[in-house]
This record gives sequence, C-alpha cells and structure tokens, in this order.
Amino acid sequence: MGFLLQFARGPLFRLCFIIMLLGLARILFLDFWGAQKVYRRAGDKKMPWRLIASRTFEWVFPVKRVFRNRQVYSFFSILFHIGLIIVPVFLFAHISLWKSSVGISWPALPYWWAFWLTAATIVFATLMLVERLVVKSIHSLSRGQDYLWLLLLLLPFVTGFVCANLNISAGVYQFLMLVHVLSGDLIFFMTPFTKIAHCVLAPFSQVIDALAWKFPPKTDEDICATLSKKGAPV
Amino acid sequence: MRTTVVTDEERKKALASTKKPEVVERQKLNVRYHVEDCDVNDRPRRFLEVFAAILKHSNYKMVLDHFIRMTGRCSRCAVACHIYQATDDPKDIPCYRSGLLLDVYRRHFTMGGLLKGRISGGGYLTDEKIQEVAESFWNCTACRRCALECPLGLDHGLITHLGRYILSEIGIVPRALAVSVRAQLEGPFHNTSAVPVPALKDTLEFLEDDMFEEKSVEIKFPTDVEGSDYVFFAPVSDYLMEADSLMGIAAVFAATGDSWTIGTGYFDAINYGLFYNDRILERVIKNVDQETRRLKGKHVLIGECGHASRVAKNFMPTYCGGEDSVPVINILEYTYKVWKEGRLNLNPDVITEKIAYHDPCNFARNRWIVNQPREVLRSFCKNYVEMTPAGEDNICCGGGGGAVSMDELRPYRTTIGGKLKAEQIRKSGCEILVAPCANCKKQLRELVEDQGLDCRVVGFHDLVYKAIKFDDSLLVRKEEEVTAGQNNGLSDPRDSSEGKEK
Ligand code: SF4
Repeated sequence: MGFLLQFARGPLFRLCFIIMLLGLARILFLDFWGAQKVYRRAGDKKMPWRLIASRTFEWVFPVKRVFRNRQVYSFFSILFHIGLIIVPVFLFAHISLWKSSVGISWPALPYWWAFWLTAATIVFATLMLVERLVVKSIHSLSRGQDYLWLLLLLLPFVTGFVCANLNISAGVYQFLMLVHVLSGDLIFFMTPFTKIAHCVLAPFSQVIDALAWKFPPKTDEDICATLSKKGAPV
Repeated sequence: MRTTVVTDEERKKALASTKKPEVVERQKLNVRYHVEDCDVNDRPRRFLEVFAAILKHSNYKMVLDHFIRMTGRCSRCAVACHIYQATDDPKDIPCYRSGLLLDVYRRHFTMGGLLKGRISGGGYLTDEKIQEVAESFWNCTACRRCALECPLGLDHGLITHLGRYILSEIGIVPRALAVSVRAQLEGPFHNTSAVPVPALKDTLEFLEDDMFEEKSVEIKFPTDVEGSDYVFFAPVSDYLMEADSLMGIAAVFAATGDSWTIGTGYFDAINYGLFYNDRILERVIKNVDQETRRLKGKHVLIGECGHASRVAKNFMPTYCGGEDSVPVINILEYTYKVWKEGRLNLNPDVITEKIAYHDPCNFARNRWIVNQPREVLRSFCKNYVEMTPAGEDNICCGGGGGAVSMDELRPYRTTIGGKLKAEQIRKSGCEILVAPCANCKKQLRELVEDQGLDCRVVGFHDLVYKAIKFDDSLLVRKEEEVTAGQNNGLSDPRDSSEGKEK
C-alpha cells in the first residue's frame, strides 16, 4: 500500500498533472486556432468588445446576474466552485508536497479555514447532487456523467477531510489516502476531456459567441456548389 | 406548480394540429407548422451531407467544438425561456434543444463520436431524431434570452439558427416563410407581400393626402431620389397594415428636412433568412445594398422592424463590403438623434394614456436600442410605465424567429409563446403598448385579443405622429380653410392649436 501511495502521489500524479496541463493547453490552442480562422474569414471584423467584456465579467465574477434566478442553486454552486479551487491549492499538506518534490511553495490556509472550507465544499457538492436528483428541470437534463463528476469530485474532499481530521487506524488512513490521491489523479487526468474543461474555456465563450455570428462572405455560392444547388429555385 | 404554466385545456388548444393525417403521412413529418411537399427519402443521409457542407463553408465548427467541450447541463437556462416556463416540458429547456444538434455533431463529426459509434454500433441519426429536431427548433422563438442566463455562455439561439438552416436545406421549412421568400427573391415584385410598385405609389400618395388633411403640412414620401442621406426600407407589410407608423416616420423627416427616399427598385426590409437560412439572408441583404448603391444613398435606414434591423446592421458589413459597406441605422436611432438635437418637437399634452414600451429582442438583447426610445417616450408621454424585466432581459412577445408569420401557429403563439408576455402586460396595466417592430406588433395584437387584455398595440412612430409639432413655416394654408376662415372669421390655420403651442 505504501508503495502504491508513493507511486500515486509521485510519478502518477506528475503524469496526470502534465496530461491535464497539456490537454488544457491543447483545447485552448484549438479554440484560439478556430477563432483566428473564423476571424480571418469573417466578412465583418468589427467585434463588440465592450459587450463581450461586460458579459464575461458577469460570469467570471458572479455577483449580480447570477442571483437574479435560482438563488439557492447559484449560492451552492458558487461556494462549491470556490472550495474546489481554493482547498486543493492552498492546503498546507499539498503545499508541502510541492515543496518536497518541485521545491516551490506559497502561503497555506490556516487550519480552521481549511477545515471549514473543505466541509462547506462537501456539503454544497452534496446539495448540488440532491438538487440534480430532485429538481425536475435539472434532473431531466442530467446525463450519467453529470452525477459521476459530482461524486468523483466529492471523493478526494471526503477522504482528505477524514484523514486530516478524524482519528483512524493507520491501515484505514493509508487506504483512504490512496483513494484520495488516486481520485485526485483521475480528476486531473480527465479534466481536459470532459465538461470540466469549462474551467479554461468558459471565460472565452462570449468572444466565441460574438465571432460565431461573424459569417464568411459568399457562403451562398460555396454551399450551393457543394450541394449541387446552383441556380436551384428558392 | 409555477403560475406561468399553461392549464391542460390551454395546452390542448395550443398543441392541436390542424394538419390532415394524410399530409403528415405523405410528408413523413409530424410538425405543427405547414411544410411544402419535399423529398422524404433518406433524410438522415441528406441532413448529414448538408451539415458537412455548412461546416466546411461556414464558421459554425468553431462554436460547436467550443460548446461540446463544456456543456454543463445545469438547466439554468430553463428559467429564462418563456416557452419552457409555459409548457414545463423538459424538451423545451434550451439546453435540451441545443443538445439535439450538438449530439448529432458529436456523433458524426468528431473523432471521439465516430469511434464510439464504431464500437457501440449505435447513435446514428434517424428519421425520428430529425422529426424531433424539426419540431423542437421551431418551438423556439430564437429570442436568445437563454444565452444571457448560461454561466458557460452557450448561445442557444445560434444553435437554433443553425439547426433550422440544415433543416431548410433538406426541404423542411415553414411554408409561410418559404412562400414569402420566393416572392421576394424570384417573384415579379421583389417583396414578401407581392406589392407592385404602382400599388406602393398609390398607397404613399394616399397617405400623403391623409397627412395633409390632418396636419396641414406637406409631408412627402419621396421615391427614387438619388443622393439622399437615407434610403428607407420598411417591412413591406407596413405599407399594408401600419400606416400610422409610416406617417410618423414621414412626419419626422418633414420636421427635420433631412433627405430620405424609398427606392422603387427594392423596398422590402424583411429578411427571413435570419430565421432559417444563411444563404437566403445573404441574397436578401445584397438586394438592400444594391438598391442603396443604385440610389447613391449615404445610409440604409430600416423602419420599425427588429429582425430586419439586426440583419442589416450585422450582416451588411459581412456580405456587402466589410468596412466599406453602407452604414446602417434604424429609424428609432434616427428619431432619437434628431430629438436630442432639438430638431423634433413633441407635444406632451396629446398622449394621456398609460404607455408601456416592449423591447423587440433583436433591438435589445445585445443592448443596441434600449434607452433611446424610452427617453423620447418619457419626454412626451406623461403616464409612462416600465414592464419588468425589460431591456436586454426583456421577455419575447412569443412570435419571434418567424413564428408570427405562421398563422397556423396562432393558438401556440398566443397561449404558450406569449403567456409570460401577456402576464407582464397585464401587470403593467398599460392602455397602450408601444412595439416598434412589425413582427412584435402582429403577435402582440393577436395576444391581446386572444388573452383578453385591455390594451392597444401601436408602433413607436404612431405616437410620434400624434404628438409631433411642426414649425410654423411648414404649415400650409389650405384653400377651403382660407375660404371658411374668411366666411366665419376663423383664424389662419397657422394659429391652430399646434401652431399656438409653439
Ligand atoms: S432562444 Fe428564447 S425561445 Fe429559444 S430556447 Fe432560448 S429563451 Fe427559449
């Protein structure tokens, strides 16, 4: 078990983390590549930058629009996202690992902050899961992966919380820690290939939307030629 | 249950199909709107072929790739959609609707989807799926309100737009729209209502006489004047149904003295391409450009019409010369500008009723025309009230995206599509609802009638026409008044109430 744990938080973690970084870089690159192609082809190159900026801002810093509708869900969701980012990055134990392996470190969250933030993230993720199960509109839209992702995200939080705060036997600790690290690795690994990619893509959605309405000129001719509809009546 | 959800009885009425079973059988398509007979064979293959051609020659691939990488299915968009709010049917949730097309894209045009399909041997596009797309994508009014609510920024209106584009290329397009476009692009009169030029000129002359009678001012509808500042394009239906809006517009020009003209070569602003096909959109907008250039006009001026204005504003640069394209302005912008400059005087004592303003989605959703008409209205309508939500968050009238042109959809439009709007109007207590868009006006009038609302729907310039005050120098002494004045001692018409108020 000890060896497995070492492997999971050593080479496997590094591999998964690199895959995540490269994967996210790849989809970002593909997004930008697609966007620049569209921009070059567009007949109208004037972009509504002010509108794009203000709408992007509305969602990247969700304080106003987000609370106009579905206030409870929005509240759960925002806190869940905050916990999801802050806890893993600023946990003392995680920073120590970075320090010992890569040699870099940064200030950590005080213990009680970390405790409450982790607990809150677990509670809010659970509430979101419950909401997915019981609210008709969300339930009807949900795919298997939407539940699985929430469960998978909960796993390292719950196991980490138990290991850090409860008095458990060494064997159980080791086992839970292994689950903790492996689930974390899996999350990193899958991030670029699943909807979690929104962590890097969402801030660009407004630009992409605006660009999408910038059509290339002369599509009529080109499409008619491809579909053999030249001269066909309307 | 939410109060906005329709009752079972309303639902039955709204969803009832007027189609004969043999038509459904023949067309192999069970949708509420009428469709012309078209090839029913091998639809899935043809759908995919068209999809591939569109992806190749357009910019949609970029946005589809972006969307499929991150759809979250949070259903937040459900609260924004007036259709879902009325039906409570999960199939009307915007994200579900977009998902129908995104799934086809994922399955047939991405490596992952193709591989998965190979392994599982399933997920192919079928006639049933096309049927679902054909129904769902025309339930949406393409108002794009849901896009504002999506935390991930998915523009479901764009997906609706693309879905309809593909459908139309395999022959699935509402008959009402196809017939109008045919008349516009291939008919002898080059407009959607097949109005011949002599009939147009007669109408304009008739309106000019009417205005002279009412205002004692020579208000003209100039035609084919080369070198005008503004070449005017109204939705052609206005010449048949919205005389007051047109008279208001002509009156504003009479007051300012700016040069404008209507081209008799091409005068219809309507562009149904926005609702179902980019190729049509391109062809129609090019006609507007050609006519403006023929007349050496300096601006394209679009009348009271949301979709036509958006198309001209956004797509003239796309299809007609980029930065060198003729600038586009909407009539509300023009009227606001001249009012701001102090060149338009409006009498604040004429309109006493309670007024509310309805934002056409195509004006407001992107914050283009929101405050301008409000400022003008507030200046001369003492009893102005606001409906909420308004502006960029406005609720669609229920007839957007071409729905209003399909008369067979009226029960659907006024029971489901306009349910939320009707409640908003009722709550506002307005007596007059101002809607500066031909589509909105028609839908709202039908809504008011079918929902038993106690209010009148008018255009923005209908009120301007009523309240406009002309400079004394423009008032003309009419012969009979002169005679009458001489006979009974009445004063010169220049001293009429309008004149005196100056
Ligand atoms: S565009 Fe409008 S009608 Fe269509 S799904 Fe979105 S909110 Fe509903």
